[in-house]
Amino acid sequence: MYGGLIIAAAALATFARVLAMMGLSIVTGWLLGYASLRSRGFESAYIPAIAVLESVPVIGFFPLVLIIFVERIGGPLGVEMAADFLVFDAVVWNIWVGIYQAFKTIPRDLEEVADNYGLGFLGKMRKLYVPYSIPRIAANLFPSFADGLFYIMASEVVSVGVHTYEVFGIGTLLTEYVAGGQMAGIYYSLLAIGVGVAGFMTLFRYFARASVAKYGLDTAAQIRRRERPAPRLGSSAWVTLARPMRRLSRYAASAVLASVARPVRSVSGRAPRLARAAGYAIGIAILGYIVYSSYRLIAAVPAATWSELLSDTPAMLYALAVDYGRVAVITGASFAISVLAGYYLATHVRASAIVIPAVQTIAAFPPPAYFPLIYMATYTYMEALPGGIGAEVYVFILGFLSTFYYVFFSFWMGVQSIPVEFWELMDNYRLGFWDRLRRVVLPATLPYLVSGISSTVNSAWGGLMVGEYWPGVVPGRNLEVNVGLMKLLDVYVSQGYLHRAAWASLLFGAVVAVYSLLFTERLMNLSRSRYVVEEGIFAA
Amino acid sequence: MLQGQDLSFSVGQRVIFDGINIETYKNELVSIIGPSGVGKSTLLRVLGMFVRPTRGRVLLHGEEVTRPTPRIALVHQSIATFPWMTALDNVKLALQGRGLSKEEMEERARRALEMVGLSGFERFYPKEMSGGMRQRAAIARALAGDPYVLLMDEPFVHLDELTAERLRREIYDILFSEGSTLESVVLVSHNLNEVVELSDRVYAMRGSPARIVGELTIELERPRNQYNPIFSEYVSELYSMLSIGE
Repeated sequence: MYGGLIIAAAALATFARVLAMMGLSIVTGWLLGYASLRSRGFESAYIPAIAVLESVPVIGFFPLVLIIFVERIGGPLGVEMAADFLVFDAVVWNIWVGIYQAFKTIPRDLEEVADNYGLGFLGKMRKLYVPYSIPRIAANLFPSFADGLFYIMASEVVSVGVHTYEVFGIGTLLTEYVAGGQMAGIYYSLLAIGVGVAGFMTLFRYFARASVAKYGLDTAAQIRRRERPAPRLGSSAWVTLARPMRRLSRYAASAVLASVARPVRSVSGRAPRLARAAGYAIGIAILGYIVYSSYRLIAAVPAATWSELLSDTPAMLYALAVDYGRVAVITGASFAISVLAGYYLATHVRASAIVIPAVQTIAAFPPPAYFPLIYMATYTYMEALPGGIGAEVYVFILGFLSTFYYVFFSFWMGVQSIPVEFWELMDNYRLGFWDRLRRVVLPATLPYLVSGISSTVNSAWGGLMVGEYWPGVVPGRNLEVNVGLMKLLDVYVSQGYLHRAAWASLLFGAVVAVYSLLFTERLMNLSRSRYVVEEGIFAA
Repeated sequence: MLQGQDLSFSVGQRVIFDGINIETYKNELVSIIGPSGVGKSTLLRVLGMFVRPTRGRVLLHGEEVTRPTPRIALVHQSIATFPWMTALDNVKLALQGRGLSKEEMEERARRALEMVGLSGFERFYPKEMSGGMRQRAAIARALAGDPYVLLMDEPFVHLDELTAERLRREIYDILFSEGSTLESVVLVSHNLNEVVELSDRVYAMRGSPARIVGELTIELERPRNQYNPIFSEYVSELYSMLSIGE
């Protein structure tokens, strides 16, 4: 076997990083979720902070990570921390929000029982909060794992100027094998990743099923249907309901939250004053630290550098606009394919029982790991295409493979949530395919679609980051587009211009965050206010 | 009119109902009663071919029904209206694909809403309407499709008692009014008072697998008064049909 032990160990190290960060996200999510229940001050800082930070794609943090961990801390520890931080950033938001929403929807009755028997912090966590949050955590394991793997593959090897930093893992090993043209090594590494992904996905699926069965008071399954078994669903579909991609489980929760004026339980009047004051203090301290750090950073940059950065800004913004075009094409293609394939699968139980778990496993398989093989097999044809179109096609493929699943699973899950009564009405009035889509299915799935498209847009940046500039994608060949902000970021980092990379990522983060908060959130609010399919069923 | 012949339905190895023969005649409201879980709603869906029977067939005017058709309209127990459509748009859904002009569709949808007493509420969204109004809109949608048969699956169960009583009082007249193409109605219910109040004929289902264990024709003048002693006798008779052997 080709370096079998090393490959196995490297794969284990990579998976361990992702799982460790997921574990850290869960534990911190419990603590922060509890803190936000006890202190309204903390809560009012916690939730907006998540919304802002989450809307910045992981890639936006890349230069910051390089500066803080690789440059300042340095050494193997710094590189390890940099890789772990990127994975943490990829997995954490979903889990934190999932836990927070679970805590906020704990029925008052159960809370009162816990109070009645005098349970303290540990008692409540152990007997009530933690068990109640398990189904949501289970639902978030799939997307978090997939996201985490994507970024770990992209961040185990980082080149800054003349230095190359790497940590031990399957991503590093793959890069070495690709650079050396060692095909056997590449295949065995991919096999190791495949075995690991399939194994963990099976475990997560089992965990999701078990957790929904045991703790499932507030899962999507409850929203799905009330009394009658849905004729379109087999038992396996019920299991897959607990495995939405990024943000999906949160939509269902949001619908529940939106249906009540305030969350089920109210904090005011019960939070101890001390805790509330501590919450405010922590919020203010974090804000103060950010303001102070920003001031020091700005003051430390020489005027000449500022002038250079400002003169670069128009080119950066143009490159960002080009990248938005790419993202739009990737999102549009994902949307069209998802709607057609998702509708077919959601209405064909047998096909979905086979295809959905398969797609789910493939979705978790990080595209940067196997993309060189696609490139190797096709570059002779792509090079025949005129003026950079080949590179664009590759970037599209990489972006599409990295993000297609988000909108696909969003839509699929949205279709699942359509009540059986609506399907019967569509059959009854013999609506054709397009009428079904236009009048019922698309409106009914709109909140899911907005959520999926938003995740697709955010995650497409990761695909662009990898694909727009990939020196040595196969030995002796570089993949490179003509214009693109992600390419600029890559080039700045690889040439050691960290200040430029930081400025570009700041611009990028700001634009993306503003887009997300102004556009996506508004669209989401609109869809939640009008297109909540569950409201179509009146069952007093 | 509508005939269900030798209908059986199974889930896996479990036979839910078996050998059911059921028939409706013109201008007749037929009810199916039975204990919870006996398969009444499933039978109703089989009659509309929303669910395929394991055995048997359904005929409408002598022709076999093989898939759902607007000629047999279903009104759900959980009142189903599309939240992103106004009352008018909800009703217009039943008129899709018929080659009608926009004006014709609008006109017919308005007429259907008027028939159920929702004139003036055309632009209301379901969430702006009460449960009773929503169910009227759902009935208007069903009637707009010019059905011959209406299948009603416990249509009043999610309404408060006063609203349900008012709608029950009006429903018979609405269904068989002059503008309606409707020829018969099949109602599923476990509320025996409701069944006696509305039905011309009743089938009782029970057992496992369930079978038709009795049939009763109700000959009472309308409007029916549940304090009438004959009314109570009918209720008692239905009760005995369902509880024989228990």
